Amino acid sequence: MICEHCKVREASVTVTQIINGQKSERHYCEVCAGQFHPFHIDFNKDDNLQLAQLVSNWFGLPIWKNETQEKQTQAAQTATTCPTCGYSFRQFLNEGKLGCSQCYETFSNKLPQVLTKIQSGTKHTGKIPGTTTNNHLLLKKQIDKIREKLQQAIVEERFEDAANLRDEIKDLERKLEVGGVDTP
Amino acid sequence: MNLEHFLKNEAPSWMSKDGVDADIVISTRIRLARNLAGYRYPRSFSEQEAKHVDDVVTNALTNINNVMFSHFTIKEMPALQRQVLVEKHLISPLLAKKEKSASVVISNDESISVMVNEEDHLRIQCLAPGFQLLETYEIADKLDSYLEKHLPYAFDETFGYLTSCPTNVGTGLRASVMMHLPALTMSNQMKVITQMLTRLGMVVRGIYGEGSENLGNMYQISNQVTLGKTEQEILEDLQNVVSQIIQNERKARQSLMKQAPIALEDRIQRALGTLRYARVMTSDEAATCLSNVRLGVDLGLIKGIPISILNECMILIQQGFVQQYAGTTLQATERDLFRAKLLREKLNSVDENSKEKGEEKYDV
Ligand SMILES: [Zn+2]
Ligand SMILES: [Zn+2]
Repeated sequence: MICEHCKVREASVTVTQIINGQKSERHYCEVCAGQFHPFHIDFNKDDNLQLAQLVSNWFGLPIWKNETQEKQTQAAQTATTCPTCGYSFRQFLNEGKLGCSQCYETFSNKLPQVLTKIQSGTKHTGKIPGTTTNNHLLLKKQIDKIREKLQQAIVEERFEDAANLRDEIKDLERKLEVGGVDTP
Repeated sequence: MNLEHFLKNEAPSWMSKDGVDADIVISTRIRLARNLAGYRYPRSFSEQEAKHVDDVVTNALTNINNVMFSHFTIKEMPALQRQVLVEKHLISPLLAKKEKSASVVISNDESISVMVNEEDHLRIQCLAPGFQLLETYEIADKLDSYLEKHLPYAFDETFGYLTSCPTNVGTGLRASVMMHLPALTMSNQMKVITQMLTRLGMVVRGIYGEGSENLGNMYQISNQVTLGKTEQEILEDLQNVVSQIIQNERKARQSLMKQAPIALEDRIQRALGTLRYARVMTSDEAATCLSNVRLGVDLGLIKGIPISILNECMILIQQGFVQQYAGTTLQATERDLFRAKLLREKLNSVDENSKEKGEEKYDV
């Protein structure tokens, strides 16, 4: 089946929608489904969407059936519930969002399996509060790249390009000296 | 600044500056998601927590010396004004709907906005014209580093900056580049590019919201991954991808010019005629015509229309702005009449302007 949204890719995610008691099924590819939900606000427009199913498909987890859903939810909630906000892991899967920062600790052993599906790792490697990142390294790298292009342009006698590249380098060097725009 | 300043029928002042690769990249946006330790997230916090967060954040921002910020409480704003701010990308549709102490703090030139109590406690957003990922990030990073000294950020050694949605956790960074890609769209190359980008962990979206994939041939390209990569890696990956797309778009434009110059110019000039003389104009048609005229200006086929006017029109053709221009709420068919009128005014006044005072106005 082809995705109903982009009409290009193979559909792999099924969304059950109930509008005025009428049940309909929509089929999306992983890409389109990902753009709708679990993690985009546009999707929230339609509160009738059964997100549970979508999220479960997305995370490749089993779907809870309606009958047993209540009991299972209760069971899961008593097993692990966040002491600060009251969220259960089940509720997180339903909504795709966490209730508070404590949730990360509460569900620390279950979250990585979710994160590996949507992120490129499970460990933060970026900025740490209290340290300053050196953005200048990046600017310098960029200048080096343009310098290479400039050399190439000169060798190939594309002088107009070379002039433009030279201006670009000058611009960046100026930014490097000023140290970007001074916000606070 | 009062709210009216941010609701004017004009493009924000940051947009009037020339950007790098401005013929293809309209603007760059950096967004950082942050939360405060000790408060539950907006989806589960109490009215009192909401108020606290709003107060603490607003306080920290208004104490900055060299940038002037204005603070607006969402629930005090009429619906139409909220919509106008959404259309300017100063607030998100989600924030516009919030009832609990949600607010936005906007710098006077509208290049920086901080949404308070949206999905996360803070959403820092910096906008810049053209293609300036590193420069724009640096501005956001500085503001973030300032705020972290005054606010207790929720940060975890393993997961990084903690966010309500696990798609933002880690760096909390979403970098987006808004691109005008008419030639790649006309030559049916966007599908392949979209697939390639998905494989690289990037997302492509239309700029006028869901279902508007290529309305006006505008695409917003952003990173999907926020955890497991440093900010610099995220920016660099996006930078490389976007540079590649810029080159492809330039090539596609040149081959269009070579293969079908007459058909292309006809299409472009017709679009200009439509914008200048039509009496009824849907937002779809307006976006398409504006895209064609923009391409005409970029290719040198249309002279005397500054890109800044086109940028402005792109924002003004949206529902909220049209109604604000009319000064009242309107039905869809009425909106189309006012939209046409607005576009006529904007695009017919250009010639006179560029002859008389155009130079001082646009070449500063
Ligand atoms: Zn699809
Ligand atoms: Zn919690």
